[in-house]
Amino acid sequence: MAENKKKFFDKVKTNEYYVRWGKNPYTYVTAAILLSLFQIVTFSVTRNPWGVSNAFAYWGAWVFEALGGSVDKWYFFASSGAQSILEEGFLNHAATWRNIGVITGALAATLLASGFKIKKIKSPKQIVAAVIGGLMMGYGARLALGCNIGAFYSGISSLALSGWVFAIGLFIGAIFGSKLLVKYFM
Amino acid sequence: MKEVMLDCYGEACPVPLVKAQNKIKELEVGDVLIVQIDHSCAMKNVPEWARKEGYNVEVEEIDDGEWEVIIEKSK
Amino acid sequence: MAEQTRTASSRRSSTRRKPKKNQIPFGLLTVAAIVLIGLWLNTRSTTIAFFWMTGNIFGYILQKGRVCFTASMRDPYLTGGTTLTRAIIIALAVTTIGFTAIKYGYSVAGLPIPGMGFVQPVSIATVLGGIIFGTGMVIAGGCASGTLMRVGEGFIMNTIALVFFVVGSLWGAHDFGWWSEKFISNGPRIFLPDIFGWFGAVALQLLVLFALYVFAERYEIKRGASH
Repeated sequence: MAENKKKFFDKVKTNEYYVRWGKNPYTYVTAAILLSLFQIVTFSVTRNPWGVSNAFAYWGAWVFEALGGSVDKWYFFASSGAQSILEEGFLNHAATWRNIGVITGALAATLLASGFKIKKIKSPKQIVAAVIGGLMMGYGARLALGCNIGAFYSGISSLALSGWVFAIGLFIGAIFGSKLLVKYFM
Repeated sequence: MKEVMLDCYGEACPVPLVKAQNKIKELEVGDVLIVQIDHSCAMKNVPEWARKEGYNVEVEEIDDGEWEVIIEKSK
Repeated sequence: MAEQTRTASSRRSSTRRKPKKNQIPFGLLTVAAIVLIGLWLNTRSTTIAFFWMTGNIFGYILQKGRVCFTASMRDPYLTGGTTLTRAIIIALAVTTIGFTAIKYGYSVAGLPIPGMGFVQPVSIATVLGGIIFGTGMVIAGGCASGTLMRVGEGFIMNTIALVFFVVGSLWGAHDFGWWSEKFISNGPRIFLPDIFGWFGAVALQLLVLFALYVFAERYEIKRGASH
């Protein structure tokens, strides 16, 4: 039985359609069109485009409050909408589930392509880079009220000038980041 | 004609590509550069760059999530 | 089936190839778990279930396409490649058309236009936020979506980045009152159709995207030829 199963999955591995859609990477343009399709699906159903980083502020707040802190006096969480999100908890926060879904969706894609591997840290430099880079992304996203998805992708697609202005910032930042990366983190 | 291994396991984008670009400049025509990667994006952008440069390229899946990009400096 | 497009270098590789494990069954189990969680969420709220499923689909597409917004901004400068940049431009163009059609539909029906919360005030904080975010994403090796996707792929480095992304978000939220008072709340929210009309705004934006696309391609060819 186990032998048969193994044979079955080995057969799947060489199946033409599996190789094309499950194994090999898609072209960038194919992925761009598919992302657009699901952005439009998301917008027409939820009446809001896709966003990622706003939920991270709430994740931080939930952890902070679990550790005994309080964000009630913070301007960012002062609105009644923000307060009710905080009260209802992460299990009832739709955007949180979408973010976790991005992780599990990518996990499924990697496993189905038989390409999963835990990639360990190679050098302490990578930890420093991840800490600094992560902090900068978090802080920057709050200033701009969004990340590469909410402020850039969804912003520009919403015909918002803010999206274009954010894009200019991103581009300049990417040049800074590249210089730092080559100099200190390679 | 020699074969050069470039160990980029554990390196995130764009490090493998930048390293490969620098390494290939040191090689002679006919030499082979083997870039070892486990970053799924590098598995796409390293071969793409090398093909655009006009080199012979082959991607070999060594293990789950590990690849070798074999680049022959053909010109 | 691995015989296609072999080069001279292939002779060496096959000898030391290890037998690979087949992860497809685990992939199918993951998909089954995703569906089951979706069904469970659906009993609580259809909205949450919808967000969950689209999140998984976004994750799947991002991973399969290796879509990296970081690379689309970084590679033109760092490596001279613009393939991803051009793909993102296409995504922006297609999504713009879809979004605008939906919004226009609401407008024609005399209903309030949805998604206007994503038209943010333009201020110095927008540019500064972009610069800080852009620097961070290159150093950390992934943007917001890219970081999540790579956590799913098993990158420890991106998992650390995600933790500190959350910490940074909390820090940013803490300081938000000051930024809002000084800059953000004074910035105008500019929705392009208010200035150029619906048709004009879409036409102008598509024209700009088209020009950027052509420029990106020319730039790549020019930089490729120069070294």
